[in-house]
Amino acid sequence: MIRQPNVILGNDELLVTMGRKGDILGLFYPRRDHAQHVEESLACIHTGERLLWTNDNDWHSIQNYIEDTNIVSTKLYHDSGIRISILDLVHPEVPVLIRRFKVQSQQKMSGKFFYYSNFNVGETSKKNSAFCDTEARLLAQYWQNYYIGIYALPEFTEWQIGKAMDTIWWTNSKYDMEDGKLQRNKEDIGNINNAVGWDLELEADGANEFVIFIGAASSRSLLYKRMHELSKMPLEHIFEKTREHWVMWLSKKHVLKMPGLEGHNNLRQELFNAYNRALLMLYLLNDREYGSFVAAPEFDSNFEKCGGYGFCWNRDTSEVVLALKHSGYPEYCDRFFKWCIRAQLPDGSWFQRYWLNGDIAPSWGNFDYSTQIDETGSTLHAMDVYYRILEGLKKVEFLEEVWVSVLRAAEYLMKRTKSGLHESCMDLWETYYGVFTYTNASIYAGLMGASHLAEENGESGMARRWKKRAEFIKQATIDRFWLQEGYFAKGIINEKLDKTIDASVLGAYMPFGMLSPKDPVERDMILFLIENIQKKLSIPINAGNGIKRYENDSYIDGNPWIITTLWLSEAMFAFVLDLPNGKEGPYAEDVKKLTDEGVKCLRWALAGATSTGLLPEQVDKSTGKPAWAIPLGWSGSLMLDNILLLDKICRRNAGNHE
Amino acid sequence: MVRDLCMFAGFNEDSQIVWFKVTYSKEPGSLSIITDFFEKENAFIMFGHIDNITQTTGEYSIFTELKKDVDMANLAQKIGELEVVNAVEFGISEFGMIYSVDFPLNVIGVRGVMARALTIVDIIKTLNQSVPHAEGLLTLSGLRGGSHAAKYFKSIMPINNSNFASMLAELYRAVGWGILEIDCNPETYEGKIIVKDSFIADVYGASDQPVCAFMSGYFAGYLTEYFGKNISVREVSCKATGKNFCEHVISLAPSSASQEYQLRGDTR
Repeated sequence: MIRQPNVILGNDELLVTMGRKGDILGLFYPRRDHAQHVEESLACIHTGERLLWTNDNDWHSIQNYIEDTNIVSTKLYHDSGIRISILDLVHPEVPVLIRRFKVQSQQKMSGKFFYYSNFNVGETSKKNSAFCDTEARLLAQYWQNYYIGIYALPEFTEWQIGKAMDTIWWTNSKYDMEDGKLQRNKEDIGNINNAVGWDLELEADGANEFVIFIGAASSRSLLYKRMHELSKMPLEHIFEKTREHWVMWLSKKHVLKMPGLEGHNNLRQELFNAYNRALLMLYLLNDREYGSFVAAPEFDSNFEKCGGYGFCWNRDTSEVVLALKHSGYPEYCDRFFKWCIRAQLPDGSWFQRYWLNGDIAPSWGNFDYSTQIDETGSTLHAMDVYYRILEGLKKVEFLEEVWVSVLRAAEYLMKRTKSGLHESCMDLWETYYGVFTYTNASIYAGLMGASHLAEENGESGMARRWKKRAEFIKQATIDRFWLQEGYFAKGIINEKLDKTIDASVLGAYMPFGMLSPKDPVERDMILFLIENIQKKLSIPINAGNGIKRYENDSYIDGNPWIITTLWLSEAMFAFVLDLPNGKEGPYAEDVKKLTDEGVKCLRWALAGATSTGLLPEQVDKSTGKPAWAIPLGWSGSLMLDNILLLDKICRRNAGNHE
Repeated sequence: MVRDLCMFAGFNEDSQIVWFKVTYSKEPGSLSIITDFFEKENAFIMFGHIDNITQTTGEYSIFTELKKDVDMANLAQKIGELEVVNAVEFGISEFGMIYSVDFPLNVIGVRGVMARALTIVDIIKTLNQSVPHAEGLLTLSGLRGGSHAAKYFKSIMPINNSNFASMLAELYRAVGWGILEIDCNPETYEGKIIVKDSFIADVYGASDQPVCAFMSGYFAGYLTEYFGKNISVREVSCKATGKNFCEHVISLAPSSASQEYQLRGDTR
């Protein structure tokens, strides 16, 4: 069953995804892509008569982050007058989720507070084992060297470990809770679930508090030690330490000023918040050890309705690490490009997608005709962009480190573009086979980047050869794909020119720079592209317009996407900055119009975020709610890029060229 | 099939739901003769269904609510004596399991649907073939349904040791799931349920293993809710494995782990 999160939290080893009512949907340890140990994990109240599961429709919830942190507050209100405040945080140094539940009731009540979990430790329901150490009051479930444990303060007074899916249903912890008392079975094996419980005695308007520690470890003894040590620390201390960790990490960011936006209905503050949230979110998608990123926390691991998102794509990550670099976090580029060197295939290309450790992931792009050449182009392009902003010794060292990889990748692109346009492969949307504008633009950028790096490395012969091919690709793309209607065709599919308008053709300008606003003809082409995409792909929702991927898109109902909308605004902002003389010059009218339109796109993207500010992949075209992958790293990186560009525009308009 | 839709009144201790299946000669006015007769006998027809069996013969199924003191055999005999009537069958529902044939169908208090047995068995088969722990999953699915049924009965009529089994049997017949013979001791919580013509076993096809885990779960849910004790029900004999009927053994669920394994026949 597919369930999308409303919020995520974690540290370097642990990633937790949660629903809007504080139910845990995913608990990834020790990597963001593997293993996901939870099927269900949530609180439940027994009123003395019946169970109230906290993810039921009877509860209303308000969920948000504590400002500038990955600490989550969830407030639940039940029609019966019961209220639960949940504070969730992950300790910055150890993989332990700490959940503080404060239960209140308007009326006196005598019941139970239960915490139920169905763990699939090691991402499997098979061959799991669980035990409840009643002396240590620790309930643990394990598979091989993965241990997940539950400890609580006050200590739980009853427990059950039983079969989750078996004909001996009465051992099932979920059923066992129904009579308001647990059977206290101490161990079991197989596909199992568990519950722990406490008496819940509440006076009218009284409150009870329960703190639950859900920890992960690679061994039984480590789990015991972690839980024991953490239980000795005051919660306030852990909270402060965690809050400080996030605030300190955010303090390294490039500081925004946004002068002149003060009067825009709180827009400036909203953008500051979105900037911080995108940064905090990207931290949680990154693997600290390998430098790779998951596109989004996995929510469809069985690939029931899509191909899954819990893997690393070079295309997405190249944009993510550059956005982080521009935002003040260069270390992500360093680590990712090291990962790229290790993950590169023998033929010099990069695969469709990878596990975070660099192993190739499940794929439908295993052949030359089904690979996605744009991923190789994007990676080379990103390496060059990063190189250009490095300084001094770092610049030299980076080039030395990546040179062989650049050479192999560039030669791969040369091999696949002998006739100018690239050979048939899969498009960036992973749907069509053919020859595409976006892919050609990315190859152009990759070869231009490689050419620059070759020049810097003293290989001018290679530099010339690669640049010549890049220019050939550019000319062929314009000659074959530019339409008199004023936009690029999507490409050639089934050997026919497909004139469908596709938002990805903006890639010819941003991020790949195949078209330059400095050239008058190309400047007009960029403006036509912007105008046509806006005109033909807009979908009105949330008091604005989002941009769908392409005409007749049927994936997940053809919703508008955040990245396509933010590509459009990014192109608008970048174009404004590329125009000479800003708002005072001959293009003053264009500057104002494009800036205003770009801001509208930004506002639209913000309106499609979750209640916690996380940007999804899509926005539901009927309800305006966040849709599909949540949060999507690529959406976050484009938000960062957009905000930084807008900041530059604001500063330029204010006469500050800092 | 229509006969199984006969019980459509809420529970009323003074009356009973009676169905008549009248086979008649298709002559002009013959249906009017039958309906006039019912009217004269104060038997209000709540629902009727006509099947044109042949060119000359029809089958008229009538559902009516009658006082308990009415002599049904006598009434049926009188219907049979009508000139246009060839044959009469009748049956009585004591508890009224289905009480509406309007859309949507309502079965014991909640929306019901009708489906070909094969449609449901296809789901069960797919689960058995593709899903780990399918037997457990089906048991748990049935458990919910049985529990809801018992809760509903408790809410609308007195349920006690003398009628809990017959209510379940009537429900099974009404929804077409099978014909039950229930032998359960309410003191020891032990016994067995024979299911004749189980809709699952009937259409499942040959199987090496019993296939009615959903029904075991349903029985367990019903009995657990009624007795207020965890009841284990397991199918020990199934028509799909070549037996004449399905048999489910009832016992009190064990409270310790070792007993559970013994119950499952494992050696430990």
